[in-house]
Amino acid sequence: MPITIHQPKPPRPLLSDLDPYNPLNVHDSDSDSSTGGGVDLSLPPKKPTSSLSHSGIVTPGEVITSDSQWMRGHGTYIPASTSDITSSLAGTITRTNKLISVRPLRARYTPEVGDLVVGRIVEVQAKRWRVDVGSTQLAALPLSAINLPGGILRKRTETDELQIRTFFAEGDLLVAEVQQLFQDGGAVLHTRSLKYGKLRNGVFVAVSGMGGGAGVVRSRRQVWTMDAANGAGQVDVILGVNGYVWISKHVETPAEVEGKPAPAGITNMEENVSATMYSSQNDRIETETMREIARLRGVITALVENGLRVDEEMVVRGYHEAVEMAMLSGEGQDDVYLGGERGEQLAAALTGK
Amino acid sequence: MASQTHLNLSPAELAYLHASLSLTPPIRPDGRSPTQYRPLSAETGILPGTNGSARICFADGTEAIVGVKAEVEKTRARWDDETIFLEGQEGDEGAEEDKEKEQGGNREWVELTVEIPGQRDDDSGTIFLAQMLSEALLADGAFVERLKINRGWHWKLYLDILLISPPLSYPLPLLSLTTHLALLSTRLPRLKSEGDEDPFFDDDWAAAPHLYPKDRKARPPVTLLVMAVGNNIIFDPAKEELAVADVALAVSVGDSAERTGKTAEDEDMEVDGRKLRLLSIRTVDPPSRLTPPGVPNATNSAYGHAVAGPQQQKMPEARAVESEAVEGVWKAPRGGAKLAVMGALVQKVLERGGVADEVLDALEAVDLS
Repeated sequence: MPITIHQPKPPRPLLSDLDPYNPLNVHDSDSDSSTGGGVDLSLPPKKPTSSLSHSGIVTPGEVITSDSQWMRGHGTYIPASTSDITSSLAGTITRTNKLISVRPLRARYTPEVGDLVVGRIVEVQAKRWRVDVGSTQLAALPLSAINLPGGILRKRTETDELQIRTFFAEGDLLVAEVQQLFQDGGAVLHTRSLKYGKLRNGVFVAVSGMGGGAGVVRSRRQVWTMDAANGAGQVDVILGVNGYVWISKHVETPAEVEGKPAPAGITNMEENVSATMYSSQNDRIETETMREIARLRGVITALVENGLRVDEEMVVRGYHEAVEMAMLSGEGQDDVYLGGERGEQLAAALTGK
Repeated sequence: MASQTHLNLSPAELAYLHASLSLTPPIRPDGRSPTQYRPLSAETGILPGTNGSARICFADGTEAIVGVKAEVEKTRARWDDETIFLEGQEGDEGAEEDKEKEQGGNREWVELTVEIPGQRDDDSGTIFLAQMLSEALLADGAFVERLKINRGWHWKLYLDILLISPPLSYPLPLLSLTTHLALLSTRLPRLKSEGDEDPFFDDDWAAAPHLYPKDRKARPPVTLLVMAVGNNIIFDPAKEELAVADVALAVSVGDSAERTGKTAEDEDMEVDGRKLRLLSIRTVDPPSRLTPPGVPNATNSAYGHAVAGPQQQKMPEARAVESEAVEGVWKAPRGGAKLAVMGALVQKVLERGGVADEVLDALEAVDLS
């Protein structure tokens, strides 16, 4: 069937509906014993006209409460000459003791020092690149913050500036780390590690960063190599904290080929910097590997579409589940489609519902 | 016409996508089969103030709304219309009847606007989209004929096509499907007056007939976006797939069941399916032609251990050099589309029980509320 058309689904219940700390779910306040009895702590009843507030969503300008005992947190403000706590975002209400804050449904990525991000070059300037990392501003990657080919350590000269496009050109994808933040929240990246650099041999997928519980979350490991099913060899997955994901065929570094672990340290970096660091030529990729890469991409999009978090555990579990599902389905292992109903099945299997 | 002014993909990505889409069978990045559409959810009758409306969403959040408004308008006599000289006279009834049939409808009776967020409404891409969609509607004159009330009056139809989300992929298939659904759900008030007197309508909205009655076979046209990579034909391409297309076509298909002759043979054929008719074809310039080529390792000065020192770097090969095809290196397609591929594309759309057929079936199954 080339096309499937469904009836629109009712909105998914938000996590906050089940959240006992959501003030909208608190009918009789029992939380604060210090103020004692006699004070009506419950929030004003929801307006019956607004059907949205039923699901715990507030919109910018919506009054959350006019009760002065609550404190305003992130995503709220108090308009002048009133005491109403008003939402400044579209999101869900969260409450921490007396603090009311609004968690946005969707937000752009806020860089933090040390984050591993996947970015795309959008602009080449004289001494730096501007990189799209899904934030409110473009991040900067200075020419001095990259490894030169061959691992040579020297001052960057004019000739390096002239051939800046041989390292990264517009459109190139790279994996980098946030080195520093500007006052206004803009990030400065660096790729001074063998783990970082230009990306090739794979596919890119952008999932929304944070908010609503879905998307990539900061976790212990953002990069891993996993064994793919069906003789597809090994596949690398890079989950950028900014919600940009790269899935590629695993290419062994020369040191790994020789059978010894890559020695760390800056002194012998020269020998170990891979020759292919700035290559934009793909290696030969087998059909099986491409198929499993497409399956992994399908798993990640299915996770996001069904409001699940994307991290190593979920992706690996989801991938194995997807392989099982394909084996049981009529079309066999070659069928990697995970959209629509199959994505929902996958999500249901993962959450155990 | 360029389908996207700016599309930023790295040469390595493009090379990978092209390689995976050239396999037999192709592996699409989202795992769909070559003829498969993205799953979508649809509803009709969402705008109470319109004669017909529809909304379609893709799972990735792309969403389009179409509203159809109808207005009664006095038909302007055309300069080449001889009947105006007969007006007021008791002319030859038979001759006038013939004239009436020939006159049909006028393409000015339909006004179609497309709005895409973040783009000016006089943007060439937006205008091209609107042209493609209205061209499909007006191509065979069958649609405007439906708008005729009598000799002096006709309906003027305003189609407002809105993309709600930013265009994550080339929105033509989405807009076309939504327009089709909106037209299917369009109802015009029931006419109470008779003949050529000034039109007078029934107040009862429940009695209003559909513009496209359910029991008849005729359906509004639908425009499909088809692309080819190598010899593979792919339907409903996503943005990154379109970025490596060798050729992309917008094919408009209509159902001509009603307009064909009523011979016994034809009716036999109609039993097992509709009669698809090609209305228009437009080539869509795929963005692949504007992409920068990849640099093969052999000519990459930043490749290899033995990197040139500052002295040797005096001759930087800064600009991208055109090279022979190297495996794993992206090279934008050059030259026109092969005639055989174009033929195969159209053939694939029109074949019985093919994609166009299934798309029309699926749209028909949507509950018209």
